[in-house]
Order: sequence, then C-alpha cells, then structure tokens
Amino acid sequence: MNSLATALRQIFLLVQWDLTKILRRVIFVVMRATWFAVQVSVFGLALAYMVSARSLGLDTQAYYKFYLFGIYTSILFSITASRAYDIAEEFEEGIIEYHLSLPMNRKVLAIGRAVGGGIASTLFTLPMFATVVVLAQEFSIEAILISIIASLAFSIGIAGLVISITLSIKSGDATDILMGALDAILVRLSTVFYPAVVIKSIAPYYYSVIANPVSHLADLLRLFYSFEEFKALAIASPLALASYIVGLSIGFSFLAVYVVEKKLEGGGWR
Amino acid sequence: MEITNIDKVFLIAKRDLDRFWQSKQWLAGQIAMNLADIFIFALIFRGIVRRDLIPDYLKFMTPGAVALATFVAAFSIGREVGMEIRRNTVEYLLTLPVSRQNLVLGRVLGGMLRGLIYQLVFLVLASIIDSPPTLVQLPVLVATSVLLTMSMSSLAIAVSSISRDFNIQATFRALTYYLLFFFSNVFYTKQVLALRFPHPLPEIISITPISIAADIYRWCFNYYQQLDPQNLVLLAIWSLALTLLASATYLRNLTKR
Repeated sequence: MNSLATALRQIFLLVQWDLTKILRRVIFVVMRATWFAVQVSVFGLALAYMVSARSLGLDTQAYYKFYLFGIYTSILFSITASRAYDIAEEFEEGIIEYHLSLPMNRKVLAIGRAVGGGIASTLFTLPMFATVVVLAQEFSIEAILISIIASLAFSIGIAGLVISITLSIKSGDATDILMGALDAILVRLSTVFYPAVVIKSIAPYYYSVIANPVSHLADLLRLFYSFEEFKALAIASPLALASYIVGLSIGFSFLAVYVVEKKLEGGGWR
Repeated sequence: MEITNIDKVFLIAKRDLDRFWQSKQWLAGQIAMNLADIFIFALIFRGIVRRDLIPDYLKFMTPGAVALATFVAAFSIGREVGMEIRRNTVEYLLTLPVSRQNLVLGRVLGGMLRGLIYQLVFLVLASIIDSPPTLVQLPVLVATSVLLTMSMSSLAIAVSSISRDFNIQATFRALTYYLLFFFSNVFYTKQVLALRFPHPLPEIISITPISIAADIYRWCFNYYQQLDPQNLVLLAIWSLALTLLASATYLRNLTKR
C-alpha cells in the first residue's frame, strides 16, 4: 500500500514536471492557437462550402461539424507528438540521465512521463476543444466529459508512442525527421478531413485510415455528439472505437515502460 | 586574383545554400508535407469536392502546391537570420570584407536559390499531373518563381530581424507564414471565397503574392487557359516592394543594438 502511494506521488511529480514544461512554451501556444483559429475559420468554412456534402449523406453545416471534431483531434495529436522534441531536448541537456538517477522505479518513470505528456497536451488543447463545442453547438455535458476522457486516453497513448520512438532511436535529427513525416502523413491519412468511405477505392489509403489512431478518436468524438448524423460514416462502432483508444493508451504506455527499462540505459544519444 | 562584388554576393548566397542542405530534418519533414498535400489531401478531395466549383481538385491544387513549396523553402532563410541575430553571428558577418548592401543582396539571393532549387521536384510533378509548360509559358514560369522566391526570402529576413528575442522572432515569422499560407487561393478558388466570405476578404486573398503565383503557375501548367497579365505586373510590384522594404529593414537591424 505504501509503495503504491509512493508510486502515485512520483507520478504526480512527473505530471507536474510535464505541465510546467508546456506552460513555459509561450511561443508554441501562440503559434498553435493561431493555426487552430485559421483552420476553423477561413480554411474550414471554405472547405465545407467546396465539399459535396450531399454525396457524403450530410449537409454543409454537418460537414463543418464533422471537420471541427477532426481538426481538434489533429491538433491534439500534433501537440502530443511534439513532446518528442521536448524529450530530445532533455536528452541533449542530460535531463534524461538525471531522471534515470532519481530514486524512482523505471516503470513509474515511464508511466509518469506518458501520463504527464497526455495530461499536459489535453489541458493545453482544452480552449480549442471549447471553441469546437461552441462552433458545433453541441453542449451535452455527458458528451463533453466522455470526450475529454477519450482525448486524455488517446493523448497518453500517443505520448507513450513518442517516448518509445524518441528514446529508442536516440537521435535528435532522426526524431525531427520521423515526427515531421508522421505528423504530415498520419493527419492526412485519417478521417480528420474526409470520412473513410470516400477512400474505399484506394485500398492502401483506406486500410491506413482505418488503422490510424487519429481516425479512431475523430470518429469517436463525432459519435459522442451526433451519433445519428455520423454513425454511417464512422470506421467502427463506438464500443470498438473506445476499445481501440483504451488499448492504444495501455499498449503504448507499456511500450514506453519496456523502452525505458531495456533500451535507455547507457546513453548513446546522437 | 581579385574577388569582385558579384563573387562576394554569390559567396554569401552559397553559404546560405550550404546551410539549407544541412537542415536535413527540416527538408525531410517539408517534402513529406508537400507530397502528402498532393498525393493524399488533393487526391482524396478530388472525389468529394463539388465539380461545378472545381472540376479536378488534384489538377487545381498541384500548381498551388508548387507555389507553397517554393514559398516555404525561400521563407526558411528567416530561421537562420534570426539565429544569427540572437547568437551575435551577425558581428562576424559585419566584419567580412563585403559591403552591407552586398551582404543583404547575398542573403536575399541565398533564400531565392533555396526556393528555386527546392521547387524543381514539384515542377516535374506538376508537369506530370497537369501538363508540361510550353516554350511560351516557360519564361513566365521562371520569372514567377524568381519573383516569388525573392519576395518571400526578403520578407522572412526582415521579419526575423525585427527583434533579438526568439519568442518575438518566431511569433512574427509564424504569423506571417500562416497568413500567407491559409489566406491564399492554393486550396480554394476565388469563386468559393467570393461565395463564402464577405467583401473585401476574397479580393484581398486573391492579390497576395502566393495567390498570384499560384494562378500564374496554373496557367503555366495549362490548368487555366488564360493568363491575366495584370498578375505578372502585380507580382513584380509585390516583389520589388517587399525586397526593397525588407532589405532596408535588414540593413537597419544589422547594426541596431
């Protein structure tokens, strides 16, 4: 019992560490907020007008709503994935070695960083989430609460993934390249902008879209708010989507534990 | 052997070009983004965009992506200029046996060359996806690329030299970047903008340098049948004004403490 309390306290300290780091990044906040504002205004409105929503079984307003939940998911993904740059920086500054020297179990360290990265990223995107809720005019309290929980689980999973990748490849340059490419490709090969049904004719794209974590969260959020409107467009049932997100969160957190325990010791940062 | 002023300008430009190739991670991410825009975003949107507005979205967007790629590569020089000001490398540049005017010219040329070289792959892609430019269109294409890259590298240099503070530099650079990126007709036609947004926003968007360049590229790659000569004049005016203004700003900020 005592060791559990200690572990929880240590996780809390690691969460605090990640929160302080994100709060210091003023420039990052300004850039992301601007990017988001333009995406939901000029870009989103023009796109909603251009898209033949009727062919998707939607009207223009419904497509815009579809787009809003997609764009929120994409920004949550990008912000969580950007933790990779923080971790790369920590490695270069020797902070990772400092973390390893702390009187703390490695499992706790890995889980604490994944949870901390997830919480920090989700909190950071809350104002954007609120904007999406207002623009979509969806104010169901239950939907808002379970959306935030699903977003948090997704973000913890992605944080676990980027921790595993960054600490495995141990290279600032390789992290930069991989994260840039992953962000560019995963967001476009997902249901952020378009439902999976429209990509059925391009098999490699279609299967990438339905395997993509970004598609799962985007579709799940849409179903939480407008089940009837979007059920025909979702890549799976709400239960399957939710199970995927939970699996992603647990699976990648444990991958981070494995990497921190087995691959991290000994430096080797390039 | 005496080094002429032209040699000096080219040496400065070469230094910036060499540094461009060293940013492998940035280049890889950027290429992935530009290719994903064409082969994923535009290709999929081709199936769902209203044909009465844009008959073939892939063909419409590809020349626009050329303009975007060119702009982003030329704009990248701003990061280095900002870093030099923060780390005082600018002092070293000022001690070089090069006049300040030539130094500024070399920097603008360096940014321009980055954009021109980076865009080559995308020009080939646009020639395949749309259709290759004719001999009449080729000089217009080259002139457009030169004017666009010159104006964008000048703008990036000026914006990055405004302050010594990284946060201010990066914020201004990002804001300029987002404004030019999204407030352009790369992703949507003027008709869509006119139908969706109040005046004078569509008119403003259609006269930004990226929009003008995208429209000229669309003519060069035969997506549009006609070229509006006014666009070339406007782009030249933009380019001249931005280059002069930005060079003056950079010259002033080089020695500002």
